[in-house]
Amino acid sequence: MKDIVRQKIGINVDVMDLLNEQIAKEAHSSAAYLAMASWCDHNGLINSAEFFYKQSTEEREHMLRIFKFINDNGGTAYSPEVSSINHDFNSLQEIFETALDQEIQITKSINNIVAKCRKVQDFGSENFLQWFVHEQMEEENQFRRILEMFDLMGTDGIALKLIDERIKHGE
Amino acid sequence: MNLLYKSYYFASYQCDKSRSFYIDFGHKQVKLSFCQLLSIRQKVQAIDISSHFDKDLNYSGIEILTLCNREHLFVFDTLQIIDLKQLLKATFGVLELNSLVTH
Repeated sequence: MKDIVRQKIGINVDVMDLLNEQIAKEAHSSAAYLAMASWCDHNGLINSAEFFYKQSTEEREHMLRIFKFINDNGGTAYSPEVSSINHDFNSLQEIFETALDQEIQITKSINNIVAKCRKVQDFGSENFLQWFVHEQMEEENQFRRILEMFDLMGTDGIALKLIDERIKHGE
Repeated sequence: MNLLYKSYYFASYQCDKSRSFYIDFGHKQVKLSFCQLLSIRQKVQAIDISSHFDKDLNYSGIEILTLCNREHLFVFDTLQIIDLKQLLKATFGVLELNSLVTH
C-alpha cells in the first residue's frame, strides 16, 4: 500500500494538531494583549498601551508564521475562534504579571510540541519551532525586566508614570 | 482499494491508483482527498460527545456534518458519531503504521 499521507504532508499529523492548537493560543494571546492595551489607553498609560499594541501584533505574526508553516507543508491550518478575553484589571503591575504568566504558558506549550516532534522524529517541525523557543525566552525576559521596575520603583503616582515612560517601545 | 479500518457502521479505504481515500457511510461512499480527510477528522474531533447526554446542550442528540466543501450533508445520531470518531482515530492510526512500515 502506497504511503499517500507522506506524499501529501511533510509534517506529522499529531504535530499538526498541536500546531493548530498553538495557533489558537497565539490568537488568544494577541487578543488578550489588545484588551491590556485598551485598559492602559483608558488609564493614561500611553506608552504601556503602545507596548501592548505592539505585543498584540507580534503574537498575531507568530500565529501567521505557524499557520503558513502548516499549509506550506501540506497540512490544514484552521482559523481559530477567540473567546474569554479578560478586560478587567486592577493595576498595571497586575497586567504585566498576567502577561508574564501568559508567556510562560505559551513557552510550555511550545516546549511540549518540540518534545512531541522529537518523539515522532518530525525534525522539520522541530527545526521550525526552534525560532519560537528562542523568541519565548526573549519575551519572558522582557516581562521579567519590566516587573523588576515595579519592585524597584513602586506602583503608585509618579513611579507609575516613570515606569510607563521606560516601557516605551518595550525598552 | 485497500481497507484501512471497518467500524460498526462505517469503513475507510485507500485507493493507490487515484491517490485518494474513501469512506463508506453505508448508504453512500464518499471519495476524499487527503485534505478532505483531514477536514472531516477535524470536524469529528471537535464534536463534544458529552453534549449528547445533556438536553440543554444538544436536545435532539444529532449532529449535522457537511463534507467536501458542502458537497455532502450527513445527519448522525450519537452512536454513529461515537463510531465515526473511532473510525477516524483508527484510520489515522493505520496510516501512521503504514508510513512506519513503508519507510
